[in-house]
Amino acid sequence: MTTSTAPAEVVELPTVRRAPGRAARLLPLVLRWVGAVAAALAIFSVLLVVKGADPLDAYAQMWSSTFQRSRSVQEIFVQMTPLVLGALAVAVPARAGLTNVGGEGQIIVGAVAACGTFLAFGDQVSVGVLQLLMVLAGMLAGALWAGLAATLRLVAGVNEAISTLLLNFVALDLLLFLIYQPWRESSTAQPATRELADAAKLPVLTAGSRVHVGIVFALVLVVLVQVALTRTRWGFRISVAGGNAEAARRAGMNVAILVLSALMVGGALAGLAGMIQFSGVEYKLRPGFGNQLGYTAFLACWLARHKPFPIVLTAFVFAALSVSADSLQLDSGVPAASIDVLTALVLIAVLGFTANRKVSRA
Amino acid sequence: MSLVIDVMSGGVRGGTSIMYAALGETVSERAGVINLGTEGSMLVGALSAYAVSVETGSPWLGALAAAVAGGALAGLHAYLVVVRRASQFASGFSMLFLALGLTSLFGAAYVGKQVVGFDQWHVPVLSRIPGVGPVLFQHDPLLYLSYVLVPLLWWMLFRTRIGLLLRTAGERADSLTVHGYSVTTMRVGAVTAGGMLAGLGGAHLSIAYANAWFENMVSGRGFIAVALVIFAVWSPLRVMGGAYLFGMAIALGPALQARGYQWNQFALDAIPFVLTLVVLAVLGRRTLSSSPAELKRVFENAAPS
Repeated sequence: MTTSTAPAEVVELPTVRRAPGRAARLLPLVLRWVGAVAAALAIFSVLLVVKGADPLDAYAQMWSSTFQRSRSVQEIFVQMTPLVLGALAVAVPARAGLTNVGGEGQIIVGAVAACGTFLAFGDQVSVGVLQLLMVLAGMLAGALWAGLAATLRLVAGVNEAISTLLLNFVALDLLLFLIYQPWRESSTAQPATRELADAAKLPVLTAGSRVHVGIVFALVLVVLVQVALTRTRWGFRISVAGGNAEAARRAGMNVAILVLSALMVGGALAGLAGMIQFSGVEYKLRPGFGNQLGYTAFLACWLARHKPFPIVLTAFVFAALSVSADSLQLDSGVPAASIDVLTALVLIAVLGFTANRKVSRA
Repeated sequence: MSLVIDVMSGGVRGGTSIMYAALGETVSERAGVINLGTEGSMLVGALSAYAVSVETGSPWLGALAAAVAGGALAGLHAYLVVVRRASQFASGFSMLFLALGLTSLFGAAYVGKQVVGFDQWHVPVLSRIPGVGPVLFQHDPLLYLSYVLVPLLWWMLFRTRIGLLLRTAGERADSLTVHGYSVTTMRVGAVTAGGMLAGLGGAHLSIAYANAWFENMVSGRGFIAVALVIFAVWSPLRVMGGAYLFGMAIALGPALQARGYQWNQFALDAIPFVLTLVVLAVLGRRTLSSSPAELKRVFENAAPS
């Protein structure tokens, strides 16, 4: 308890353990999760009361306006799309023992590349070709951005958690640089790029809805990543390299290539998230683009224990929380951003709770 | 000539909030804990300082409140990562979101309110030295406090018993335990103290530098501070120089614009991060080898196997 200083993850046991009496051990686990969320809701209630809002009324409004209006439900799917992809971008490198904190920056450069492709070729090629080019450009940009961090690690021994974090801000400044001058549509209007041509916007799933095909890409990629990580030679190798690089090296694996590929695949997924956010939701680059999507996705991935299928659930929860923020503002008169408090409280409750489970197990 | 003075003076003024936060992060990381919630501590510090100054009329009480608020948020981070052994990255980002939400919830009422901030106070005699005076001695008291704080912190870290214990918690936690000290206490203390300094950085921003409060006003300075600590290789004295250097890079744009040169600010804003990356790349393994050993373990074990 006092001597070991490594974070709790290293003592994590394989999570799938089908020992007898599993259901009996699952019950306290479920109860503690419920307790954690209830505690978060209780603390948030106190804050709402302090701000003069009725918490029960606020929760009821949040629930009904989020899940009982089809527009809001659609909005959840729209918002969870980049979160799922951004979380996968963390999960793949994590398999190789790498911490990708750079989803934020990789999402931004993905969107920048997609927008740049549109600005450069939008008038010259057909819509189908343009969309394909935008996808490729977005994924390539994200992969290269993450590859930069991987290269720094391999060549200079720079830890990827630091470099990906720093690169986020370089990406953000690059985005702002572009939209304030070279790509700015008009020097008198708000700084933003030209809007994506209607034909090149991502198609919606059903006429009149806001849900675009991005969610389909995201869900397909969840399955693909799961398969790649658990059923392919590459997936096996990066997990060996992540578990014990020396063992991987002695088994004849090229650890450098594995590190590079894991981070770049992650970057490509985040870049795709940026491209989808640009061509499915935002349509133009604006100063607030991204808006901490990458960090939220990092937390969604962490909450899902870096496993693809649970990511769908955690991304859904974060997206629903974010959608319910509008109700908080409209119905209870509390700033929408205060939903971050509830999100953080849930995370803190879970952080405290899971750590305890691991210590008692170790 | 006056452009140089302007940029340097602006760098000192603008770099001070970053320096406070980076000094706090240095203390925290020297004890083996990385706190990505520094941005959050600055945010709650900035709002607390502003709110208390508005309500009481005393910027000093505001600064005190900022230290308490920044320390409280960092204390929560310390509890989660040291006592409950949560992931340091996940916890740090959670602190950031908590601070963003809390300051938006409680800050809305203070947007646009008049505040009595720290007055500019020219140091007698010294402020009239040509060149040096305007750059270093025509500022606010909170900034002068940092002149005292930097050597004091260096002395504490490297010349006192408590500093030795703190650094041992970051280098060889085991030997601290062997000698009967509690690693938990040292680390929680260091992270909390670091958060108090970050809170003061936020206070400098809201009641000395900008004299305003608006949502998300820290806008990445906490992360510049995290970069700066690496740039400065975990040394308080180099943190001071680095903070002014980064501050100057940011102050260059407005200074040029005031003289009619069109300059895209965002190319300059990226300088702190690019410089830190360059330093990391050039020094490479040497930087890492001089980082606190327990901190390296945090990074190496950050992703689950």
